[in-house]
Amino acid sequence: MQVFKAYFKVMRGSAVSIAINLGVFIGLAVMFSFIAPETMGRAFEAVKAPVAVVNRDREGALAQGIAEYLSQTHRVVDYPDDPEKLQDALFYRNVEYIVIIPEGFSERFMSESRSVIQKVVVPGSTSSHYVDMSIDRFLNTARLHRRLGGIDDQAELVAATMADLTPDIPVSVILADEVGQEERPGYAYYFAYCAYALLAMVMTGVSSVMMAFNRPDIHLRNACGPLPKRRMSLELAAGHGLFALGCWVLLMLIALILHGKNLAPWQLAALYFLNTLVFAAVCVGLGLLIGKFVKGEGSQAGAVNVIALGMSFLGGIFVPQSIMSKSVLSVARLLPSYWFIRANDEIWLLSRFSVDTMRPIYGSIMIQAAFAAGLFLIALLFLSKERRGPHP
Amino acid sequence: MFWTLLFSLVLATFFYFAFGNLTDRLESFNPIGVAVVDNRAYRNDARLRQVLASLSQPGKGQLLELAEVSEEQAKSLLDTGDVAGVVKVNEKIELVVRQSGIEESILKAILDEYVFMSRTVMRVLANNPAAVREITDRKSYTEQISFSNANPDTMLGFFYALMAMACMYSSFWGLRNTIDVQADLSARGARRSVAPTHKLTVVLADALAALSVSFAEVLILLVYMAFVLRIDFGNQVGYIVLTCLAGCVAGVSFGSLVGTFVRGSGSVKTAVLIGLNMTMSFLAGLMWAPIKDLVSRKVPPLSYVNPAALISDAFYSLYIFGSHPRFFINIGLLFMLSALMCTASFMKLRRTRYASV
Repeated sequence: MQVFKAYFKVMRGSAVSIAINLGVFIGLAVMFSFIAPETMGRAFEAVKAPVAVVNRDREGALAQGIAEYLSQTHRVVDYPDDPEKLQDALFYRNVEYIVIIPEGFSERFMSESRSVIQKVVVPGSTSSHYVDMSIDRFLNTARLHRRLGGIDDQAELVAATMADLTPDIPVSVILADEVGQEERPGYAYYFAYCAYALLAMVMTGVSSVMMAFNRPDIHLRNACGPLPKRRMSLELAAGHGLFALGCWVLLMLIALILHGKNLAPWQLAALYFLNTLVFAAVCVGLGLLIGKFVKGEGSQAGAVNVIALGMSFLGGIFVPQSIMSKSVLSVARLLPSYWFIRANDEIWLLSRFSVDTMRPIYGSIMIQAAFAAGLFLIALLFLSKERRGPHP
Repeated sequence: MFWTLLFSLVLATFFYFAFGNLTDRLESFNPIGVAVVDNRAYRNDARLRQVLASLSQPGKGQLLELAEVSEEQAKSLLDTGDVAGVVKVNEKIELVVRQSGIEESILKAILDEYVFMSRTVMRVLANNPAAVREITDRKSYTEQISFSNANPDTMLGFFYALMAMACMYSSFWGLRNTIDVQADLSARGARRSVAPTHKLTVVLADALAALSVSFAEVLILLVYMAFVLRIDFGNQVGYIVLTCLAGCVAGVSFGSLVGTFVRGSGSVKTAVLIGLNMTMSFLAGLMWAPIKDLVSRKVPPLSYVNPAALISDAFYSLYIFGSHPRFFINIGLLFMLSALMCTASFMKLRRTRYASV
């Protein structure tokens, strides 16, 4: 058991960075669980674009009417009239459309002189067209009432316009029923990010231990010790297994705490657990290789970082696969994280549990298992080669 | 050194493949595919046909890509995703869609508007039958202005955070320097402690060496991102380079701070440094760009003391606002933080005395 015990002594050294990775991950997971849209109902709901309304024509009843109409048809986000803050909001898409109603707009509209509403948008974006339509709809209707209905009072004009635009006889929208929801639910985000957490934590831990055991002097000392090689490898493997399993259990516990109530039926949870478990094995394999090839702590951190972030971004962990370009996706197939996310996405799209619907999920999980096996083989190959090599 | 540089380059390339052009593909407007079931009710509704036809007129204002087809064809077009929705006219207008997305919402808005307009038309025409021309004349009431000439592409946030991370990697050099001057941590430190050279000279020489190496690394990354990947940093080259320099200075100082104040062996210090670097880069937007903005709105003090966030915000404000006060505040804070960190670690180093063993 010496090796097994030494394993966790070495592990203590990297506990800080593993804990920080876990902290970053939990931060991300909790945040995204709140940000991710709630599971959508089976009824159509019009998208509400996030809009900032800067009303510089505070006195005008018409301007207030526009602001009111926009708050009904879109999601108005409160922002002060400060170009810098508004620009930040647009860049990070807290708002997708900034409406600026200039001073005296209502007066000019009523007197039929040139009156325009200023907008700051992401040029050429779909949401800019969408909000344009709402503003134009309101003002065109108001104009008709003004010119043809002869309404001179702003408040009255707003009331008449609103009455016309209130959807009491709306176009009925039907959702074609065989299609599932297109948006990842909160728990699916959580399990997707688990892949990042596993990559960062397991690779850091496993590679640190392997780097310690592979240090030339330690390696040579162990090689001439009385402990059989097989015994040592077995204890190391047990250490890796226990460590990865520990990380996995921790993440699954957090999953149950954060999303337990949404994870019904139990098969759903079981599939997610299986998928993440197999991916944890892949991470062990990667950790073994990093521990083998990387020398020095700085480059270890770099390697873990690049592999974890690279796999995450290219495999579709942070950016959903559905919006990635085809050419990138075809390269991403060479990464285990791609198959992890494939399975992850297929699981939440499941509406019923049968052999047929689960086949693609098991397929993706098997491919990950194959990746893990491949990585283990490569690591073993290099280990045994080295042992046969000449002593320095 | 080679490795940290290589990793930054590789990560930049990954970022580029994962979301170069992503904003464009996701957000750019393309005419929305819509199928109309070509039944008798539709053929009799001349006004609807006219409205749909004018909206699908090729040109700048084209909103729709219209297909007038049979009911079965419409269904298969919807199933394959070639159209976002199917319009069916009976006594009422019906829209069949697959999901509640923005394109579907626009389709609904168009049809709603058609219904609203019909109602307004009826009301107005009852009083004023000669107004048909006025009604069909639809005006646009919005005018696009902008606060900045730069395209607000959120994805740039990831690349700026990556630059920040690369700058913060200089902290590994800073850390190494402190290990190299502390007698209880390295043989080199022990030798230098008994050397007659003044500690300040030693520390300054080390710091300058660390700074020039890491600055060179960051510049290589900058050149690669700006010229090979074509990431837009704006065009004020001098200020961009200044940001890199300020970032490296902050990185080296931060490494020295961790090296002197965190107790333990070299590897414990390294682990702490790696963790802190990761946390700071995360808060600067490396994993999810909007978090930088979120932090600066919800917990402003945190973004003023996080060098990584200051670096990425400096790149951001330079790109969006040009040489705006905000850029100089970022740079100023970076230098101030660096000065504080350096002073603190030098004070600590200066007082250190070792027992002779």
